Amino acid sequence: MDWKVIANEPWLWVCGFIQAAIGVYQAWYFFRLATRMLAKHGGYAPNQIRSIVRGAVITAIGPVMAEIFVMMALIIAISPAYCWQREGVGVGSVVTELVLLSNAAIGVGQVFGQPSFDIVGFAAAIVVVNLSCTLASLGAAFFTRSLGRARDKLSRGDARLMAVIGVTSSLGVFAFFAASEIKKAGGRELAVLSGALLSVFFFKLADWIKMPRLKEWALGIAMFGGTLIAHLCKS
Amino acid sequence: MATNSQAFQDLPLEPYEHEYLEPVHHVGFWTCIMISLAMLLPALLLYVIYGVAAPWAGILAGLGLALTYLVPFTIIEPISYYPVYGDAGNYMSMTSGNVANLRLPCAAVAQAVAGVPEGTRLGAVIACIGIAVSVLAGVVGVLCGSLAGGWVTAQFPPWLANAFKVYLLPAVLGAVFGQFALRGPVYALPALIIAGVPLLLGWKAYFIIPVAVFGTLLLGYALFKWKGIAPRGG
Repeated sequence: MDWKVIANEPWLWVCGFIQAAIGVYQAWYFFRLATRMLAKHGGYAPNQIRSIVRGAVITAIGPVMAEIFVMMALIIAISPAYCWQREGVGVGSVVTELVLLSNAAIGVGQVFGQPSFDIVGFAAAIVVVNLSCTLASLGAAFFTRSLGRARDKLSRGDARLMAVIGVTSSLGVFAFFAASEIKKAGGRELAVLSGALLSVFFFKLADWIKMPRLKEWALGIAMFGGTLIAHLCKS
Repeated sequence: MATNSQAFQDLPLEPYEHEYLEPVHHVGFWTCIMISLAMLLPALLLYVIYGVAAPWAGILAGLGLALTYLVPFTIIEPISYYPVYGDAGNYMSMTSGNVANLRLPCAAVAQAVAGVPEGTRLGAVIACIGIAVSVLAGVVGVLCGSLAGGWVTAQFPPWLANAFKVYLLPAVLGAVFGQFALRGPVYALPALIIAGVPLLLGWKAYFIIPVAVFGTLLLGYALFKWKGIAPRGG
């Protein structure tokens, strides 16, 4: 049997559904716990919680769609079932997936995406990509508690220092990602810059015109606006 | 809801720890273990059903290469992102991935909509909602994408599909950077310089991320200690 047929048989879809079920249960459980906490001890009304959820949904649309676009390469190269098992819940970025697949293929002397990639390459990929990604989930299982303790020690309970840590570490991370994209050029620098400026503008505008609901849309508008501006400037 | 104009009031410590953190760690631990075990299933089933297995030497070689790429990120990412998304956010992000392009932006928007600073108990609970929503939306999106097999995206004009592929991720990253820059404008430019210089020098990403995070953090700490500067809301 052709390996691409095997790679799209029900066994792999079922594996994907098992992983997704665990991931969805985890997310749903945390979601319920957090919303109850907000309602009981934070004094948040249901419409305020709905507003937070709406903001997250709007923000998720763009990146999820982008993920689906890039995912098509994986569907063509391997199979829809493989894509579902790997991308539904369990790993994440398609870029990481492609790097891991290439590494697995090299391990068995093949090249991913070339005709030489066969059932042995696929078998190696299935082991290597899944096993290497257990590193993150096992790391989270065993070390998440320590992360909180480390941060508390660092800030010694000072709320202002805690805010310094939160904002500077976030800015550090996103400065790296933004600078990486700027360095690639080819219009990406325009996308970064216009995304940043539009985001700042819409968040400020929401405060100026006293319309907090605009913040739910701010990041979504900024990311699509930045994409369009970069495209228009480069075409 | 807390707003910038009101004095920020965090969640009380006792119920946060007992009613929120304890179940988060319990369920987070076991779901992470279960998902790790579930990830071993495909290889096992491929062998049991079809009798296909790759040679161990090849697997170990591939695994060695993959871990060289993954290990630094696996250590650095949770340490760097934890102040924003907290405990539940870490469990979800490390099982579902797509942290920088999807989980963190959703967490940040949820906090912005609520007007709550990151690094607080309330901020962590709200980030948890944002990330949980992104996981649920992601699963639905990926399932639809896998089932439709390209039909949906094929309906887009080529220019739009190309613009999405090339420019959407940089625009997302720029937008989130802009949002955090608003919280602490004084750190924004230095953060870009701290991250940009090693990038121009051609350092590896897994060296640059800690340099960018801890470099900006040290700058923030120095400004806080010497000049008393802290982000608004903090």
